[in-house]
Amino acid sequence: MKSINTILLIFAFTIIANAQVKIGDKLPLITLENNLGVVKKITLSNNKYVLIDFWASWCAPCRTGNKKLVRLHDTHNANIEIIGISIDTDKTKWKKAIEKDKIKFQQYIDPKGFDAPTAVKFGVEDIPSQYLFDKTGKLISINPSHEELLKLIK
Amino acid sequence: MKNLKLNYTFITSFLLMLSVQMNAQISKVEIIATGLTCSMCSNAINKQLKSLPNVLNIETDLNTNTFTVYLAESNTANPKIFKDSVEKAGFFIGSLVITTTANTVSKEPYILIDKSDSTSGEVKVQVLDKGYITDKEFKKLSKSMKNHENYLLNNEDDFYIKYSK
Repeated sequence: MKSINTILLIFAFTIIANAQVKIGDKLPLITLENNLGVVKKITLSNNKYVLIDFWASWCAPCRTGNKKLVRLHDTHNANIEIIGISIDTDKTKWKKAIEKDKIKFQQYIDPKGFDAPTAVKFGVEDIPSQYLFDKTGKLISINPSHEELLKLIK
Repeated sequence: MKNLKLNYTFITSFLLMLSVQMNAQISKVEIIATGLTCSMCSNAINKQLKSLPNVLNIETDLNTNTFTVYLAESNTANPKIFKDSVEKAGFFIGSLVITTTANTVSKEPYILIDKSDSTSGEVKVQVLDKGYITDKEFKKLSKSMKNHENYLLNNEDDFYIKYSK
C-alpha cells in the first residue's frame, strides 16, 4: 500500500513538473489583463523573437532591468517583441511603474505574487525571470544574457 | 484518605493541564531577511517557511520587507527553525521578532535582558543572538553585553531576547 502511495506521489509530482514550460515548448495559453484594462490572450508575433519578462514594481533588480528592456525595445523593435508580465498585487503601483520606467512594450498583470498561475506555469521562482521564444514560437532560452539576446536579434 | 488521594490526582492533572497550556508557544514570527539579492524577489524564503510544521499562513509586507508567519496553537517552534529556513533559502536574518506569552519567555531557553514588566498575556520579543540580527548590530551589542558572559558564546540552544514594540 505504502509503495502504491509513493508511486502515486511521484506520478503526481511528474505531472506538476511536466506542466511547467521547458526549452523546446511552445508558448502556453495565457489570458491576462493588460495595462489598458483589456483582458487578452497573449499571442506570438510572426517573424519576431519574443521575450517574456516576469517582474514587479517593488522588485529593484526588475526596475533596473526595465531600463535595458526599454532600450532594447527602442532599438530592436523590428526583431524582438517584449512582453512584460507583472506579479504585482497592487495594480496602481504596477501602472505607476510602467509610466515611470517609460515602458512602451506590451504589459500584462497576474496580480497574485509568486502564486500567480502564469508564474507557476513558467516555474518562476525569482524575479526578474525572462523566457525567450524564437521566430517559430519555441522556447529557446531562460534568462538569456543581454549579450546573448543582442547576438540573436542583430 | 481516598478523598485526599483523589484531590491530589485532580490537582496534579489540573496543574499539568495548566502547564501544558502555559508552555505555549510562539503564535507569530516577523522576519526581515537580508542577503546580497532582493529577498522579496525570490519565492525561496516563502517556500521554506511554508514547509515548516504548524505554519498556518505567511504574509509578506513589501514596504517593510517583512515575512510574517502565523503558527497554529500547541506548536513547539523555536526561533532556530526559522533561522534555519531562511538560511536554507540562501538568505540571512536581519531581524526576528516573535509574539508569544510572557510565561514562555520567562524561562528556558529564553533569557530576557530587559526587566520583565509583565507576567501574563502576550508579549513581543526580538531575538538578539548572532545570526538573528545584522552583523553590525551584533558587534555593537556584544560590547554592551559584556556582563552577559554567555551571550558571546553564541550558544545555539538559548535565546537572548528583549521586548519589541
